[in-house]
Amino acid sequence: MRRLVCLLLTALIALSVNLSLSMAQSAAFSIQAPAELQPALSALYKARYGAAPTFVEADGDLIATNDRALRPSGMAGVPPHFLPDAFFVLARPNAEAEAFVAYAVSPDGQAALIESGFLPKSVTVTDQAGNKVEVAQPVRRVITPYSIATYLVYGTGSADRLVAGGYLGARSPVGAARMSAIDERFPTLSGYTLNQREINIEQVAQLAPDVIFTSARTAWLDTVRELNIPVVLFQGESPELLKESMLIVGQLLGPNALAHAKAWGDYYDSIFAQVVERTRDITARPSVLFVGESPLRVISGEMYQTDLIAAAGGRSASEGLTGYWNDVNLEQVALWNPDVIVIAPYGNVTPQTFAESPEWAIIKAVQDGKVYKMPSWVAPWDTPVPDSVLGVIWLAQKLFPERVTLDCKREALYFFKVFYNHALPEDEIAAVCGS
Amino acid sequence: MRIVTLGKARDAAAASDFRQQLAYGSLLLPLALIAISLLLGLYEIRVETVAKALLSLVVPQAAEGISSTELTLILRIRLPRVLSAALIGAALASTGAAFQGIFKNPLVDSNLLGVTSGAGFGAALALLLGGTALMVQGFAFGFGLLAVMVAYAGSRLYSSAPLIVLTLMGILIGSFFTSLTALTKYVADPLNTLPAITFWLLGGLTGVTWSSLPLLALITLSGSAFMWAVRWRLNILSLGDAEALALGMNPTRLKLLIILCATLMTAAAVAVGGVIGWIGLVIPHAARLLVGTDHKRLVPMSLALGASFLLVIDNISRTLLPAEVPLGILTGLVGVPILIVLLRRSQTVW
Repeated sequence: MRRLVCLLLTALIALSVNLSLSMAQSAAFSIQAPAELQPALSALYKARYGAAPTFVEADGDLIATNDRALRPSGMAGVPPHFLPDAFFVLARPNAEAEAFVAYAVSPDGQAALIESGFLPKSVTVTDQAGNKVEVAQPVRRVITPYSIATYLVYGTGSADRLVAGGYLGARSPVGAARMSAIDERFPTLSGYTLNQREINIEQVAQLAPDVIFTSARTAWLDTVRELNIPVVLFQGESPELLKESMLIVGQLLGPNALAHAKAWGDYYDSIFAQVVERTRDITARPSVLFVGESPLRVISGEMYQTDLIAAAGGRSASEGLTGYWNDVNLEQVALWNPDVIVIAPYGNVTPQTFAESPEWAIIKAVQDGKVYKMPSWVAPWDTPVPDSVLGVIWLAQKLFPERVTLDCKREALYFFKVFYNHALPEDEIAAVCGS
Repeated sequence: MRIVTLGKARDAAAASDFRQQLAYGSLLLPLALIAISLLLGLYEIRVETVAKALLSLVVPQAAEGISSTELTLILRIRLPRVLSAALIGAALASTGAAFQGIFKNPLVDSNLLGVTSGAGFGAALALLLGGTALMVQGFAFGFGLLAVMVAYAGSRLYSSAPLIVLTLMGILIGSFFTSLTALTKYVADPLNTLPAITFWLLGGLTGVTWSSLPLLALITLSGSAFMWAVRWRLNILSLGDAEALALGMNPTRLKLLIILCATLMTAAAVAVGGVIGWIGLVIPHAARLLVGTDHKRLVPMSLALGASFLLVIDNISRTLLPAEVPLGILTGLVGVPILIVLLRRSQTVW
């Protein structure tokens, strides 16, 4: 009799422990999602935890939705997307839910969705040199010998997939320190011999990338194509092409990257629209001369900076020139007589150089004191990287200080938080923007 | 010294007289071209304005009524540039003629001992380190001199055939510095520094202002004066060392002095104007076609032709297009056809 009671008790305890355990496993957090998203979420949850998720009608810990009205705005940025147009919102802090979200947007989560048929097995894009490239999904390892393409990957929030890359503007100690602060893997990622001119083909084979992002002007494409690695070419010398290149990267790196790419495009459009709105009635656009590493080296009409100046509401004085950087003499500058001179962020030309020179005193911009050096954080803001939207903001603010109310520092803080997931040091960015 | 001659010899003497007048008279050509070049430029300035501006250097009141823009352009932009072009052209051409005489080799110019290659490396290094324009000029000058010193020091190790060894050392040092320049271009940032180095190596007088002129003028004028003074001795040097010794000259010392002078002039010229090829090689030949091989006439003619040629080239470079065309490109494109035309009209070259 006593033995029977002992047995019964043990069984009861075991049962209740079992029950509570299994309940704990599947009741860690609840998901609130519309019916059409539930199959995908179940597939994800099963792949992660090996069980079915708990769906609730309301007050879930984790909300999954495709309703754009529920998107958070401001510094919260772009919500994590697990499917095109479907994203997560955390209703309350929950460690398990956050881990699940991180899993869902990672390559593993993407793989789970691909297996259950919710995402395609491969994506075919037309790159900016006109080639059709098919890339198997998910992409786990990306290398970017093109130092501008690296920032496209960061801008889409997919820097975790980067294994090696060139970094424009990060050669100087200041640039390198800032980039290390943004991404602690930077020293490793930038330590390979990769650039547009030459590449160590064996290093590439060892890195085993799933896709290579490089520029249309790269010299070593044939060698790498022998390795049967998909190569996507970029050529973004205008804002429209830059938006296109962001979307290409987004399409290749998963729904979350695509959402970030679209958000960037929307942000750029909104800035551009604001500038257009505020300068609508100005007929005489200020003429801006953009100089590079020497006072007499100017941009041509075919370079990205020409469109950047136009987006900021100005007009490039040297838009009649063709090619790449051009050397001109002071007589030509006197003919143009620009209203404003902007110095590129790189090189050691400063507004002092112009103020101190008696020859430049004949130019209107120097007489009015409107000579400015464009700031930068890591990547120069006058090159076709996502950060160039800040270049537009800064220049618009300088050209039309009374009309344009965009604030360089505020927008920089927003941009880096949303697209790089990095909090800029406030006083440093204020000093950088203040120039 | 006039020698009384008869018949064919008299014609030869008359021709020689004409050539002498041509050689000395040609020195007026650069002066005329300087005046004309001041009138040319992208910014339209009237002739009277230019004349008044130049007059204002002596008589300040003459500058009344001229806008400060035009005054600055004429006196601070065009004038130093035009003068630099004339000085550089004269320096490169006369040093080319001198080297062709010393080394008895019609295919050399002043870069034989590596001064231009060294200067090119110096400038590339300065641009790689992100230096100012002054630093670039200083490095170019310094490394140009260094290259020649190394070549000369190396040749002193062999006393058996000094001229040949000197030529060989010069070629070796020149190619060594050329390789170093290639290395600099390789490690340079391809988006910004590399184009800057390439533009500099193609030659140009874009940013020349009065600050670059004093040293260049000092070295070129004193060097040219020295070349002028020793020009008849170059005739004797080109006969060979044994003949020169027999005639009472010290060929080693004279060659050393001429090499030193030529190196300084070339280094200064390259430091200001970049690598401008063809002038040192082609202009002495063109001068020989006009006045013969006698260095008494050849040196003045080279000076004048070199200055005039580079003045014309620089005018084309700065007025043809809104952007500057590098001088090194134009000297080859324009100079070589001119030389071919000259060759066809004449029977002898050397």
